Amino acid sequence: MPEALSAILTPQFVVSVLVVVLILHLALGAAAYFILLERKVAAWTQDRIGPNRVGPMGLLQPIADGLKLFVKEDYIPPKADATLFILAPAITAFTALIGFVIIPFGGMIDLSTVPFAGTFGWTGQAQIVGANVNIGVIYIVAVASLGVYGVVLGGWASNSKFSFLGGLRAAAQMVSYEIPLGLALLCVILTAGTIRPDEFVAQQTTGAWNIVNQPLAAIIFYICLLAEANRTPFDLAEAEAELVGGWHTEYSSMKWALFFLGEYINLFIGGALFAVLFLGGWSLNPIAGLIPIDLPSAGSFWLILAQVGIVLGKAFIFVFLTMIVRWTVPRFRFDQLMRLAWEGMIPTTLLLLLVTSFFVFMGWMDFMWLASLGTIAVIWIVHPMLPKQANPNHKVALIGSRFSPMPDEEVVSRPTHSAALAESGVQS
Amino acid sequence: MLTFALDLNAYLPIGILIVMALLFAVVNLIGTHILGPRRHGERKDTPYESGMDPIGSARKRFNVRFYILAMTFLVFDVEIIFLYPWAVTYTKLTPGSNDAALFLCRIMFFVATSIIAYVYAWRKGVFRWD
Repeated sequence: MPEALSAILTPQFVVSVLVVVLILHLALGAAAYFILLERKVAAWTQDRIGPNRVGPMGLLQPIADGLKLFVKEDYIPPKADATLFILAPAITAFTALIGFVIIPFGGMIDLSTVPFAGTFGWTGQAQIVGANVNIGVIYIVAVASLGVYGVVLGGWASNSKFSFLGGLRAAAQMVSYEIPLGLALLCVILTAGTIRPDEFVAQQTTGAWNIVNQPLAAIIFYICLLAEANRTPFDLAEAEAELVGGWHTEYSSMKWALFFLGEYINLFIGGALFAVLFLGGWSLNPIAGLIPIDLPSAGSFWLILAQVGIVLGKAFIFVFLTMIVRWTVPRFRFDQLMRLAWEGMIPTTLLLLLVTSFFVFMGWMDFMWLASLGTIAVIWIVHPMLPKQANPNHKVALIGSRFSPMPDEEVVSRPTHSAALAESGVQS
Repeated sequence: MLTFALDLNAYLPIGILIVMALLFAVVNLIGTHILGPRRHGERKDTPYESGMDPIGSARKRFNVRFYILAMTFLVFDVEIIFLYPWAVTYTKLTPGSNDAALFLCRIMFFVATSIIAYVYAWRKGVFRWD
């Protein structure tokens, strides 16, 4: 059936498959090198050198790590649920790998400028995207929320208390932060009037970047991406200080590595998604509506290559920022995490959604940034009137201590030791 | 028939990627299973619990708050799913027209019902973990 075959093998299809294959390998390689970068960033933050033994500047470290993990013992605890134990890392890696397919990495490529394209008789234009489907960003949200299964099943199947608690925490955290993520995404969809990623970019190259249009939604979206990817300050699921390794305590060899590949690929895809939704994709001008100078969205091979570089560069900046956040900000406590999601971000995003839909109703699309300011103003006014809850950070009175002394007990709160007195210079 | 073919063409790369991702996961798991050594021991086979003998089963009952949280999540997640088609249709309408006003009022009512549920849950202490 040569006719049916040529109906499927359109230029767009071939370009899509090429993009899928290339970005898949790029994502895997990037994940490996993000791990090296993370260790280097950790080292720079803590005034160390970091990995520098394998290859020049430690650049071959990911390959050495991968080879080492491949020949390590593939241990399945006898008391574990073996099927789920093996399935969990596969689910994590699988859901992480199929997410990027709808992200447009470049605009319309003019096929006549591509080398060798003429020999196949391909002309016209094709888009640099894995699959330009009409469900758009809903696909990536759906796939990303499947990732929680890997964590929960891994925690449950390990038959270890640390894994179990880590899995539970991860499940509660991921479902909680999915709601503000979805609501913030809805605000952007209302601003752009579409759910197709390429139309998001088109809207931002003609108007303004969505981080200018919806700054509040952008901040909340970024925080939720951190929480969904289990990154510090939201990495309670693998809090080393209390849960050893969290849900991957019992994992070893490549199974463990698949969890980490999944985490870093998720980070990379989150960065690319943030670049497309909020940072204008391959646009270089944040306010193209006022100053109409920008890259054209369609053009020759080299222009498209530059666009792909810009999108990937923005994703890289996102990942780098996330790494700096990891080594700067301390971890939340679990009740703080839940309060931030349910009592902070969900009411905020609901309000922002209502204000944004009102702006859309009035047709004030050029002043959309006022919606974020209006939301913050409303919260500022309403917040003191809300019923107060008990302060979770209150001090529990220990009767007889120096903060809660017994009646008529005399408490000396200044230093009394002679060495302390000499150092502080306090005269008694 | 033509639209079907176009849709299939758009979705086909997703199918190819799914096959490739599955292959990646399966090949890695099988490869490491073949290449790695396997040794068992009495102490090694106990679940890790900071080097001590495990106390009780790991499949314990856990806090009921997680269940309540999951149910509250379902309410909001279903609500968000309904909001996506609304958002796409709503932005296509003329701003300020009667249709747009009707759509806005409908969704205001829909969101208001879930806000009532939210306030109820808040007052019942669902979101308190301290």
